[in-house]
Order: sequence, then C-alpha cells, then structure tokens
Amino acid sequence: MKIRTVRHIIKDGFVNTYRNKLMSLASTVIVVASLIIFGFFLLVSYNLELNVKMWQEQPQMEVFCYTELDATQVKMVEDSIKNNDKIAEYIRVSREENYEKAKEKLGKGSDLLKGYGADTFMESFIIRLKDTQYSQEVVSSLEKMSGVEKISYSQNAIDVISRISYWIKLGSSLMVTIFLVVSVFIISNTIKLTVFARRKEINIMKYIGATDWFIRWPFVVEGVIISIVGAIVAFVISAYGYMSLYDKFAQDLFLADSQLLKMVDISEVWPQLILSYLAIGVVVGMIGSFLSIRKHLRV
Amino acid sequence: MVELKNVSKTYSNGTVALRDINLKMDKGEFVFVVGPSGSGKSSLVKLLLKEEDATEGEVYVNGYDVSSLSRHEVPYLRRSLGCVFQDFRLLPNKTVYENVAFAMIITEALPKEIRRQVPMALALVGLSRKANTYPSQLSGGEQQRVALARALVNNPSLLIADEPTGNLDPETSWEIMKLLSEVNNRGTTVIVTTHEKSIVDEMKRRVVAISKGLIVRDQEKGQYRDEDKNCQTYH
Ligand SMILES: Nc1ncnc2c1ncn2[C@@H]1O[C@H](COP(=O)(O)OP(=O)(O)OP(=O)(O)O)[C@@H](O)[C@H]1O
Ligand SMILES: [Mg+2]
Repeated sequence: MKIRTVRHIIKDGFVNTYRNKLMSLASTVIVVASLIIFGFFLLVSYNLELNVKMWQEQPQMEVFCYTELDATQVKMVEDSIKNNDKIAEYIRVSREENYEKAKEKLGKGSDLLKGYGADTFMESFIIRLKDTQYSQEVVSSLEKMSGVEKISYSQNAIDVISRISYWIKLGSSLMVTIFLVVSVFIISNTIKLTVFARRKEINIMKYIGATDWFIRWPFVVEGVIISIVGAIVAFVISAYGYMSLYDKFAQDLFLADSQLLKMVDISEVWPQLILSYLAIGVVVGMIGSFLSIRKHLRV
Repeated sequence: MVELKNVSKTYSNGTVALRDINLKMDKGEFVFVVGPSGSGKSSLVKLLLKEEDATEGEVYVNGYDVSSLSRHEVPYLRRSLGCVFQDFRLLPNKTVYENVAFAMIITEALPKEIRRQVPMALALVGLSRKANTYPSQLSGGEQQRVALARALVNNPSLLIADEPTGNLDPETSWEIMKLLSEVNNRGTTVIVTTHEKSIVDEMKRRVVAISKGLIVRDQEKGQYRDEDKNCQTYH
C-alpha cells in the first residue's frame, strides 16, 4: 500500500463522515447514549466499592490490658496506641464500663458476678484501623507490649461485612459487565445498519475493481471517528452529571456528615471513565465496521 | 479479447440462464447483444465480470482465465475493463470529478496522472462544467455520461455496457450510443446489451441475439430482428 493511498483512505473516512451528516449524527447519538448508560453503572459500581471498603475498615478490635496494671502502665499502653499511625482512632474503656457491660450481658438475674467488683475487670481500648490490611501488623506489634493480655476481633461483624461486600462487589461487576455487553451490542448493531444502508456503495466500488481493503478501511476510519467523538461527548456529559450530583451530595449536610455514605471524587474516576469509553468505542467501532463490511464484499 | 467456450449458467434456484454458449469477440469490435427480457444478456455480462461463476465451460476476458480466477484477483480483472450499467452506479457521496478519479485512485495511480486524465475523460463525455456537482444533481443522461467517463478514464481495451440506455429517453440514448461508437473508433472493444431496436438497426454493427439462454443468431452488420423471422411473423 502506498503512502498516498493511506492518506486517501484517511481523508475519505473524514469526508464520508461529514457528507453522511445525518447518518453520522444518528450513530454518534447512539454511541453516546449507550456509553452513558454503561458509564452510569461503572460509576455506581465505583461508589459501591468505595462504601464497601469503608465499611470493611469499620470492624473494630479491642485491646485488653492485664487486670493488675496500674494507671501509669495503662497510660503507657494508651500512648503507644495513640502514637501508632496505623490506628485511626481509639476509645478507652474503663474497668467500670467493662464491669457494667459484663453485667448487662449476663442479665440481671445472674449471680455469676457476685463477689466480683469493678477492680477485678481490666481496662481495654477499642481501636479502629485506618485500613484492614494493617490488622496483622498492628496486632503483632501490640501483642508484644508487656501490658497487653489479648487482642480480640469482633469476628461476627467482620464476617457479616465481608459477606455483604462480596455480594455487592459481585453484583456491581456483573452489572458493569452486562451493560458493557449491552453497549457493545448496540454500537455494533448501529454499525451494521449504517453499513447496510451503504451496501450499494460497497457494491459499486467492487464493480470498478477496488480491492477489499481499499473499500473497508475508509469505513473503519469512519467508525473510529464516530466512536472517538461519541466517547468524548459521552464523557463530558457523564462527568458533568456526576459533578452536579457530587455537589448536591456535599451540600446535603445530613448525608455528608453521617460518614455512612461517601461519593468517589471525580478526580479519581475520570481517567478510567474516558479510557473505557474510548476503548469500547474504538475497539467496537473498528471491529464492528470491519466485520459488517465483510458480508457485503462478496460480489 | 473475449471468449466463451461451451458456457452454461444455472442459478442456485435452478433457473437456467445460459446454455452452451460459444462466443468470440476480437479486439476493436463493436458487438450488440440483443434478446427478449430474461433471455440471459445480463447473465452473460455477469460472467464476464465474474459477478457470477459459469456453471460449465470456460470464460476468457482480456487474457484472464475468468473461471479459475481467485477472489483476490477479481479486482484486477475488473480494472482491466470499463463497465457501464443501466442504473449508472455512481457513488452518491462523491462529486462527478471524485467519481471518475476514484477509478484511478484504486489503481494507486500518480496524482499527476489523475489530474491529467480525469478532465480529459470528462471533456470526452462533455461534462467538464459539472465536475463539482453530485450525481443527484444530474439528469439521467448526464449520470450515464459520468459513468462512461469513469469506465474510460483508465483507458481500458474493453468496455462492457449492460443496457446503458435502459433508463434514458430516445434522444439521450442516441447520444450515449454515439459516444460508445466514438470510443470504439478509437480502438476500444465495446460490448453493449440493449433493447433499442432503432439504434441497433441504424448502426449496422455485429449483433448477437440470445433467446432463452441460447445464441440464436450472430450477424455482422446485423439488425435487431431476424429478417426472415420478421417475414414469417408479419406476412
Ligand atoms: N441472481 C439470480 N438468481 C436466480 N435467477 C436469476 C438471477 N439473475 C437472473 N436470473 C434469471 O436468469 C434469467 C436470465 O436473466 P438475465 O438478467 O440474464 O436476463 P436479461 O436478458 O438481462 O433480461 P433483461 O433484458 O430484462 O435485462 C432470468 O430467468 C432471470 O430470472
Ligand atoms: Mg438485463
């Protein structure tokens, strides 16, 4: 293939896109719409994952000191917890509070605690980690401390949360996959239709003696142009929509302060968003045009 | 130039379009192929362009053994000849100039050559002024002249026209036929299928008549109808 032919093919792709204005516009709109639908679910899934991750960080651990420790020794344990940069926050639970908790747990009628006072209970610290991935590390460093008797996880909570987050993650990636397939299907069908509408053109070129690749490549260029434009438009629309939603969310004091729900900042997702739009558009645009034309080349 | 040996064509639905055709056309000839509708004229043309494959027999065009040509080689056969159809077959999104130039671009011709040849071809068919218009803005006769310019721009040695005047009024038909005749006078072999009785009769060229897939007559300086048969019919 000569350079001037390549240049002709690229130019032809652009010129055809322009001259088939209506068809190009319609295809672009469809590409934009299906990408936005996909993008919506992608963003929903990112947000679900962020929130799940936050919940996973919630499980707390409790550090129990030896009963015999005096106030200064407990203070030493507290200081080391306070200075541990892997720990987000902690709450000190006094002997009295632990005594009360135990009483509550056993119920009023129980006389198991008879004869025991608050001084037979230990002091403890409930800690929350910055990230669950540090748990091993934190546990082993605290266990080494002389005043610490044991560290316990609240295992139940961890189990429940990890089970929920597993299903949420599975559900959201399933959703993203489904809508990926849906948008791929819609876009490739659109290409099939536009190529079908122009099958006469393809036939004519074949009658004149154009080779298959000479006919095919301008269509592929056209498909890629429409996909790129579609991806950019879809990105602008979905990013704008997301940011407006984000602003509304931030203004809603109840939601923003509750710490229960968080929205991913647009700065963290926009590269993935535009890249997946471009990837879907361009890959589907290329392969779709390539395959759709093949059918009409047999003359 | 063109040779068919014992060629038969049966379509996949069982329709027999051509039966045992033997036909030879030499360089520089002008041949009319005539016959009633459905007799197999277009099928013959399709075999020459390898749009369809002969069920039996051998087809030779411009030195190509058409029957044994691979899919990959078909474009080169088609470039070696020019063809014109009843429905013009112009590219709707290209201007007149671009349509004609396209036939050269596919052969990877030099831009300099293209800029020289295209205006010449357009001048030959008298459409220089319409170079920048689109096919939809032209009359049928003008569109067919563009198709003719496109068919001729690569200076092919063979021109095949399947009912080139089928969609045109008598006067315009004459213009197109005169152009074809002129092209033939410059040395190009021309094959024309047609229903235009008056033109065939007047031009006194070789006439190959087909009926029900058989060649029933092959005459130098022939007429549209067989004179003997005419007598039987009308007297
Ligand atoms: N693709 C096809 N599949 C099946 N049968 C076909 C096909 N093309 C043509 N035929 C049949 O073959 C026969 C010859 O058709 P052909 O088009 O060659 O006739 P023709 O002489 O060109 O007619 P006309 O003057 O109307 O153009 C007809 O009976 C037609 O129905
Ligand atoms: Mg016909």
